[in-house]
Amino acid sequence: MKTKLYILIAVFFMSTGVNAQIDRSQQPKPGPAPKISLEEPQEFELKNGLKIMVVENHKLPRVSFNLAFDRDPVVEGSKAGVTSLLGSMLGNGTTNISKDEFNEEIDFLGARLNFGFGGGSASSITKYSNRMLELLADAAMNPLLTEEEFQKEKEKLIEGIKSSAKSVDAIAGRVGGALAYGKQHPYGEFISEETANEVTLEDINAYYEKYFNPNNTYLVIIGDVKTKAIMKLVKKHFKKWDKADSMTTVIVEPNENPKTLEINFIDMPNAVQSNISLSSNVSLKMSDPDYHAVLIANKILGGGFNSYLNMNLREEHGYTYGARSSVGTDKYVSRFSAGAAVRNAVTDSAVVETVKEIKRIKAEPVAADALSNAKAKYVGDFVLALESPSTIAQYAISTKVNELPEDFYTTYLQKINAVTIEDVQRVANKYFSAENARIIIVGKGSEVIENLEKTGIPINYFDTFANPVEKPEFSKPIPAGVTAATVVDGYITAIGGLEAVKAVTSVMVSADVTIEGMPFKPTAVIKTMSPNMTSMEMSIEGMGTVMKQKYNGSEGYTEQQGMKMPMSETKLAEKTEEKGLFPETYLDATTLTLVSLTAVEGVDAYKVMVKEDSFRYYDAASGLLVRTEKTEEAQGQKVTSVEDLSDYRNVNGVLFPFGRKITAGPQVIGMSASNITTNEGVSADDFN
Amino acid sequence: MKKCLFSLATLLGMTLAVSAQEVKFEEYDLSNGMHVILHQDNSAPVVTTAVMYHVGAKDENPERTGFAHFFEHLLFEGTENIPKGEWFTIVTSAGGSNNANTTDDRTYYYEVFPSNNVELGLWMESERLLHPVINQDGVDTQNEVVKEEKRLRVDNSPYGKFLEKIKLNMFKKHPYKGTTIGKMAHLDAATLEEFQAFNTKFYVPNNAVLVVAGDIDSAEVKVMIENYFGPIPRGEDIERNFPKEDPITAPMRAKAYDSNIQIPAIMAAYRTPSFKERDSYVLSMISTYLSDGKTSKLYKKMVDDKKMALQVGAINLSQEDYGTYILYGLPLGDVSLDDLVAEMDEEILKLKNNLISERDYQKIQNKFENNFVSSNSSFEGIANSLARYYMLYGDVNLINNEIDIYRSITREEIQSVANKYLNANQRLLLEYLPESEKE
Repeated sequence: MKTKLYILIAVFFMSTGVNAQIDRSQQPKPGPAPKISLEEPQEFELKNGLKIMVVENHKLPRVSFNLAFDRDPVVEGSKAGVTSLLGSMLGNGTTNISKDEFNEEIDFLGARLNFGFGGGSASSITKYSNRMLELLADAAMNPLLTEEEFQKEKEKLIEGIKSSAKSVDAIAGRVGGALAYGKQHPYGEFISEETANEVTLEDINAYYEKYFNPNNTYLVIIGDVKTKAIMKLVKKHFKKWDKADSMTTVIVEPNENPKTLEINFIDMPNAVQSNISLSSNVSLKMSDPDYHAVLIANKILGGGFNSYLNMNLREEHGYTYGARSSVGTDKYVSRFSAGAAVRNAVTDSAVVETVKEIKRIKAEPVAADALSNAKAKYVGDFVLALESPSTIAQYAISTKVNELPEDFYTTYLQKINAVTIEDVQRVANKYFSAENARIIIVGKGSEVIENLEKTGIPINYFDTFANPVEKPEFSKPIPAGVTAATVVDGYITAIGGLEAVKAVTSVMVSADVTIEGMPFKPTAVIKTMSPNMTSMEMSIEGMGTVMKQKYNGSEGYTEQQGMKMPMSETKLAEKTEEKGLFPETYLDATTLTLVSLTAVEGVDAYKVMVKEDSFRYYDAASGLLVRTEKTEEAQGQKVTSVEDLSDYRNVNGVLFPFGRKITAGPQVIGMSASNITTNEGVSADDFN
Repeated sequence: MKKCLFSLATLLGMTLAVSAQEVKFEEYDLSNGMHVILHQDNSAPVVTTAVMYHVGAKDENPERTGFAHFFEHLLFEGTENIPKGEWFTIVTSAGGSNNANTTDDRTYYYEVFPSNNVELGLWMESERLLHPVINQDGVDTQNEVVKEEKRLRVDNSPYGKFLEKIKLNMFKKHPYKGTTIGKMAHLDAATLEEFQAFNTKFYVPNNAVLVVAGDIDSAEVKVMIENYFGPIPRGEDIERNFPKEDPITAPMRAKAYDSNIQIPAIMAAYRTPSFKERDSYVLSMISTYLSDGKTSKLYKKMVDDKKMALQVGAINLSQEDYGTYILYGLPLGDVSLDDLVAEMDEEILKLKNNLISERDYQKIQNKFENNFVSSNSSFEGIANSLARYYMLYGDVNLINNEIDIYRSITREEIQSVANKYLNANQRLLLEYLPESEKE
C-alpha cells in the first residue's frame, strides 16, 4: 500500500554503546553526524513534457504545489524589464476568473498563491488542494494580462528605478553585474527607465507565449496527497498546456577577467559610504568535485561573522558593519566577490585589507578549529533547513536543473565533513583571485580617489550605467583670494546683508513633507527663534500630530507615536553652541577651513569645514548655502546626514531656501515650504 | 463483484485521507514524577528538546510578583557544570538555537539542534533543573535585565499598560489580577533565600513535562532521559487552590492614563471561561469572525467602510482558570469612544439575534484549520503544543483532534455563546486615555 521510498544514509556509521554511567560534569559529545532521510519524489512526465515530482507526506493535512521553469538565461536587451513585469502581473486572475474574485477565493480558502517569471506556487490545507491546483494551472495557462494591470505594474517598476537612482547599493548591484559579465550578457544587463518604457503589452504576451510552456518545466507536489489521484488531476488541468518549439538562446561570452588587479570606480557625489566589491568571474558548478571545499573556504574567508574579512574589517578596524564574500555556482558563469560598505575615509584601507585577507587564505593553511567551526555551522544550517518541506522541493528541482548526481544531497554532509585544510588552500588558490580581479567601488570620488590612487592599483572610471568615462574632475583649484571668511561673507551678502539677516529674530516655515517609501503626506511647521530655540511639529491628516521636536533654550525632546525621548547630552551641548538663527553670523572665521572647490549636484561649490565631521557647502557662483553635512555616531556606527537646500526666495528682504532634502542613512525626507514668515506668529511658548 | 470491492476500498481510503493529520507520540512518567512525551519523526535530522514547568505568575506570592518571569532569565545564568555566560555559546557552537517564555500559567524552555546533539539538549535541560546556580551575582545581573525589559516593553511602549489595567479591574480575587512581569519593587525587596525557595518549590520534576520531538531513536533517547533526569529528586507536591471570582453582574467602567499615547482607545473586556471549556473554543471563533483580518466584520465596517477607527481588533486572552475577551478600538478624528462601543455592540447584537452566514462560518472553519495545521509544521511547534496540551489542557490527544472541537461547533452554538457571555452587564469598558487628559 505504501509506496513511499526512503533513502536512509548514515554519514558515519558508529554504534554508540549506551552507557548508564554518565559524567554530567562533561558536556556530551555530539552523536554520529545526523542521518539524512530525504524523501525521494515519484516522477512522471506528461505528453507535453511537463515533469511532475510527487512527495507524499501525510504528517500534516496540507499540500504545496511548486511550478518551476528550467530556462536558459533570458536576454531582454532593449526591453529589459519585460520578464519582471510579466512575473508581477501573473497570479492576479485568469481569463476565466476576474482579479477580485480570484483573490477573494484564495482568501476564503485560507490558501496562498504566488507567481514570478521563474514559476509559481500554491499551498493550502488538503481539502482545498484540488481547487488550488486548478487555480494554479488556470493562472499559469490562462493569465489575465490586461493593459490596465500592465500600466500599473510598469509605473511601479519605474518608480522603483527612480527611487533607487541615488542609492549607492542599487547602483553597485547594477554596475557590478554589468562590469563583471558585460552589458550584452544576460547576467550583466539591467533594467533602466528607458528599457522599461520600451516594453509593451504585446511584449508581455510574446514573452508569456515563449516561456510559459511545459518544456523543461517541473511541477513539484509535496504533502498530503495520493499520488495516483493527484496525477489524474494534474493531467486533467495541465494536459492542454501546449508544448512550445525548442527555446534556444544565444548567449554571448562574458567579459574576461582583467590581466592584473584594477579598480573600477563609479563616482556618486552623494555617497557617504563606499560600496566595495572585489569581483572575478569563476566557472563553478554544483556538480564539480571542488564544490564543497569552495563552500567551506568561502565560509572561512567571508561567509559569516567569524570570517577573516569580518574579523579584520569590522572587529579589528571598525570600518564597516559587516564584510562578506561569496561564490556563485552556475551552468555558464558566476562570480567570486568580496567586499563591504565602508565609510568614505577608510575606503583605501578597506581595499588593502580585503586584498590582504584573500591573499592570506591562499597563502596560509587555515587553523584546524576555524575549519571545524566552519563545518559545524554549515552542517547546522544545512540540517535545520531540512525541516521545511520547501527544502525538499528545492533539492528535488536543484538535482534536475543542476544535473547533479542522484546522491548529491544525501552525501552532502559527508562531503562537507571530508574537506581538509589542504582542500581549503587549494580551492582558495583556484577560485579566489586577488590578481585577475576588478575592485568595483561606488563612492564619492572627491573624498576617496586621492587615497585610492596611493594604493598603486590602476583605476578606470565608469558612469552609473557602467559606461567607461574619463577621470571626472573631483575638485578644482581654489581661486586666489578665496578663503573660508570670504565664502561666509559672500553668503551673508547673497541672502540680504548682515543688517537684514540680524533683524530676523524668528522664522516660521510651513512645509509639505515627503518621506521616501511612505504613503503618508505629512505637513510640518518649523519655528525657530533667536538665539537657538527650535520647534518642529509634523502632522498627518486624520491622525493629528505624529511627531514633535522641541528645544526651548535649556531643554529639548522628541515625541513620536506617543513616545517622548529627551534630547541627548551631546545634542544639548551642540545646541548651546548655537548663538543665532544663521550660524554664519556668529561663527569665528579663523576656526573655519576652506576644504575644496567641489561639486554639489553638478554645480561648483566651496566646501567649508566648521568642525570635525561637520561641513557646509556654498554655491561658488551665487554664494548661497546649498548643503550641510554632518557625521555623528549612533549605536556604535557613524552615520552621515546630508541636508540639501534649494529654491531660495525672498522673505522680507532675506533669502530663504524653500526646498530642503535630508538624507540620513537609508532615509530620505523632502520638505517643500508652502509659506515662510519672519518675526511673526512665533512665541517662546512654542518651544516647550 | 471485484469492481465493487475495489470501489469500497477506494472509499475507505478517501475517508482515511480526510482526517489525515496524525502527530504520533508516546508518553510516560519517570519515577520522580517527571512526565515525558516523545515525538519521533525521522523525516528531518532536527530535534527539539523542551521543558515546560507548571509555574507562572499566578503561582507567585502576591508580595513577590514577577518571580516566575524572573526565573526565565535567572535559569540561563549557569549551572554547576555550565559556567556563567556559557549557555548561549554552547548552543550556537553546536549549530542550535534556543529560547524561553513565561505566562501566568507556565514557563517554557527549549532548544533546537541538529539531531546528533539531542544528548546535549537533554544535558542542558537536566542541568537547569537539577542544580542551577542561583547566587546574588546572577540575581543582580538579571534584576537589571528584567527592569530594562519592563522599560522597553511596558513603560515606554504605547498602550503597554492596558493589559495590567484590564486585569486589575476584571479580577478581584484570583491572581490573574496581577501582571506576568510583576512589580519591580517586589523583585528589589526579594532576598536570595526567597529565590532559592521558589526554585525548590516549583522547579521539580513532578511539576514539569519534558518533550523531545524530531529525529530521535526513542529507545536510545529514553535511556538518555533516564540517565540525565532520572536521578533528579522528586519535589513536594504542589497544591493549587486559587480563589474563585464572583460572576460579573453589573457593567463596569474605568479609566486609565498612558503618557506614551496621543490617541485614546476604548476596550470592552468580557470574562470568559477557562480555555479547557468548550465555550472558550466558541468564543475563539467569534473573535475570528469579528476581528481577525481585513475582511472580518468589525475591521471591514469600522476601519474600511465607515472610516471611524484607526484600528479595531480583539484579544482573546485564554488562560488556564479564566479567559478575558477584549475588543478594542482607536478612534479616527473626532469619533468618540462611545461611538466605537456602539458600533461594536451593533455587531455583537447581530450575532446574538441571527445566525452567521454559511459562507462566513465556512471561512472561519478554513482559517482555524489552516492555523491548526501550521502550528504543527515544525518540531518546535509540535513540542510546544504537546507540552501545553498535556500540562494545561490535560489531554495530549488534542494535538490531533482539537480541530474536531471547532468542526463540531455549530452556527447555533455561536449564537447561544454570544448571548451567554457578550452582555453589557458582564463587561468592563476601559477608556485608555493620554496622560494629558487626566484632570
